Amino acid sequence: MKIRHLVWLRRIIQTFFLCLFLFFLVESRLSQDIYVDYSIAFSTEDDIRLDQPVTFFFQLDPLIGLTSLLSGHRLIPGFLWGFGVLLITLFLGRVFCGFICPFGTIHHAIGSIRPALKGDRMIRANQKTPGQRIKYFLLVFLLIGAIIGLNLSGLMDPIALFFRSMALSIFPGLGAGLRSVFDAMANSDFKVLKLISYGAEVLFSPVFGYNVQAYQTAWFIGLLFLIILFLNRIRPRFWCRILCPLGALLGIFSRVSPLKLEKYPDRCTNCNLCTKHCQGAASPHPDQIWEAAECLTCFNCHNICPEEALAFFFSRKPKLNRKPDIGRRALLGGILAGLSIPLLGRLDGRMDKVADPRLIRPPGSLPEKGFLELCQRCGLCMKVCPSNALNPTLGEAGMAGFWTPRLIMTQGYCEYTCSLCGSVCPTGAIANITTKEKIERPIKIGSAYVDRGRCLPWSGNVPCIVCEELCPTSPKAIYLKKETVSGPGGKKLAVQLPFVDLKQCVGCGICENKCPVKGLPAIRTICAGESRSLKNQILL
Amino acid sequence: MNFDRPLTRRESIRKLFRWSGYVTLAGATQWPLFTLPDAWATEAKKGFIIEGRGQTDGFSVKDLTRKVFEAAGGIKRFVSRGDVVVIKPNISWARHPRFAATTHPEVLSAVIELCQEAGAKRVRIADNTIHDARRCFAITGAGKVAKETGADLIYPRSSLMRNMKLRGNRLDVWPVFIPLVEADKVINLPVAKHHSLSTLTLGMKNWIGAVDGSRWSLHQDINQSIVDLAQFFQPAVTLIDAIRIMTKNGPSGGSTDYVAIKNTLILSDDPVAADARASMLFGLKPERIGFIHLAQKGGLGTYDFSKLENKRVVM
Repeated sequence: MKIRHLVWLRRIIQTFFLCLFLFFLVESRLSQDIYVDYSIAFSTEDDIRLDQPVTFFFQLDPLIGLTSLLSGHRLIPGFLWGFGVLLITLFLGRVFCGFICPFGTIHHAIGSIRPALKGDRMIRANQKTPGQRIKYFLLVFLLIGAIIGLNLSGLMDPIALFFRSMALSIFPGLGAGLRSVFDAMANSDFKVLKLISYGAEVLFSPVFGYNVQAYQTAWFIGLLFLIILFLNRIRPRFWCRILCPLGALLGIFSRVSPLKLEKYPDRCTNCNLCTKHCQGAASPHPDQIWEAAECLTCFNCHNICPEEALAFFFSRKPKLNRKPDIGRRALLGGILAGLSIPLLGRLDGRMDKVADPRLIRPPGSLPEKGFLELCQRCGLCMKVCPSNALNPTLGEAGMAGFWTPRLIMTQGYCEYTCSLCGSVCPTGAIANITTKEKIERPIKIGSAYVDRGRCLPWSGNVPCIVCEELCPTSPKAIYLKKETVSGPGGKKLAVQLPFVDLKQCVGCGICENKCPVKGLPAIRTICAGESRSLKNQILL
Repeated sequence: MNFDRPLTRRESIRKLFRWSGYVTLAGATQWPLFTLPDAWATEAKKGFIIEGRGQTDGFSVKDLTRKVFEAAGGIKRFVSRGDVVVIKPNISWARHPRFAATTHPEVLSAVIELCQEAGAKRVRIADNTIHDARRCFAITGAGKVAKETGADLIYPRSSLMRNMKLRGNRLDVWPVFIPLVEADKVINLPVAKHHSLSTLTLGMKNWIGAVDGSRWSLHQDINQSIVDLAQFFQPAVTLIDAIRIMTKNGPSGGSTDYVAIKNTLILSDDPVAADARASMLFGLKPERIGFIHLAQKGGLGTYDFSKLENKRVVM
């Protein structure tokens, strides 16, 4: 195989994995009506599950597997894929970065389709810098932190970050924009526009869904994502070279890789084309020593060299590559940060002392400590939640729980017969429970209480029973009592007053979601009474 | 027409005017047809109420549905060839059919098949569900029925909700699920079950699932709201599914303990009579149920069965 073919092969594989990633991203939702195989749920009462293995890329990511093992002491399902990636890295170097990683492909494409820098400036930007040690610092910090018991790797892991940004910010943004256009067309008075909008809706709904998905604080996630993309204008693949902790991990493993860049300095005419096209700032120029740990194995230098002064070869001799330039300070700093930040993260007391009442975790979540040890903040559960109740936290779970999932009942509610979030969680922070278990045990995520000052019948305004009507448990956790209250102007008003039976209530929040008192509903859900915690209980 | 010759500008303008003239003329001749007073066509007609009951073990729900329609003079009386028929079942809850919270899928599929036999161009199932629509379609069996019969499932979404004037006593402008308005014929296909505010939810209350907006505030004056909606959505016929009825813990249910098997179907072109007859299955008096009483007062129909043609079908 000629090297030119190999570069094209790389491009094809990169495109394939990026498309596969986007396909799984789109498939991370209940199928739309036209595609559902209804007979399954109806005939066997099996739970409705997704058809595609949407967690594949999370399994492929060794950093997620490793941190879950270190902090949660658990081998995630499909961890062998990640193990395989490490094994391949031992032989081929960072091929994951160059060929597979969809986030890397995005950076690669942005940087090569329209390079921001020209000529000498690009050559200078592609020289190795001490800044590239930052990724080792981050890796050490995340690994030590994971051992101590705070798993923050999801914040920086490329797969989790890319998925979160796309699923919570970029996709819903596009979807909401398109939907508003179609709604405007459907409501116009021109029949042609209406027909076009219906047609367009059929095409785009399988991808973006029939409802507008919205996630609190998604603008922040999206902004960070755009900033990370923008960094490619400073240096090509800025993220992969300087920030990516997964790249750092794979870089360390590539030390023994027999795939080496052979250099023939006598042929070199010093045209610097190799450095100009280097994606990883891995010093491909024959006068420099090749940095195996930085090389993304894109084969650009080999391909571009007009004098054949560079070539990738499998070396028969067992010889170590150049040591990854971790830097003593990065190592020490990483260890210190890894030791201190998990402890600092507990200073707000969220984990041990107080639970924020709004922190309602998805059904089947592990106890808070175990949850934070495993949650990768990837946003997959939020993407699949059919009612859009699951949202990333900001401060509700404390610093340690940034961007972990919680239910916002004014936005959605936990559907009684649904247990989809647990079935897709890549690390098992949300246990994979069945709907039967959820109902029969029962798994409570919180409990509801009536705000009598706001409640329409309690405050003597009008009769209303919406919360009771919607309560899904049997017998209902909300019960009514007939009463005459004094209405406006002292008139007698016959109403039914709602009460909550805390023993029955599972905290699903449909009452809060549908309560006609908008803004701050008259019946609200708090996390107290959640069955995952022994402490956060109300009843004996 | 000669396509080889290039069209001059003058010619093209002339052609354009001629064709638009034709179209205008065609439209103008049609126009009086639309504005004919309704009173011309309608003639005082006696309503009917038919109760079908399956008494033998293992009777077929499908056949019972068919027989009930036959007793009313056949489905052709309600559905004409080429019609777009929209069926409004109650599939609001993602519950298995055995809990009687939703319209039984066998009744649904029987009605769809009847409509198709009558030559309906399209049969659609439309309900603005409470739970997530995809899950409701899957778990209630409506999706399976749609797949087997080839009927369209309409996914409720914001582009299909349009503000309309309901001209009710209490409700004025409200967002309405438009497939139910744009249909040639609408068939109301509710399930009979308990409800904690309106006592029962039957045919007329089923229209709460045909509107959007802040429909949870309708409960503040539930009876008037039901009547206002029922006078706006006038179905060709109402078929109440009382094969299983939910007697307690409604309308969501969730336990088979409160489900009573009645094996009954009630068909009527009078929405009030249908609801009244169904309420008797629960051992209740129709006049004691707020919205039925109010609907009779408002002239939507009657629960005085002697004014109707009564029929019974037993299997």
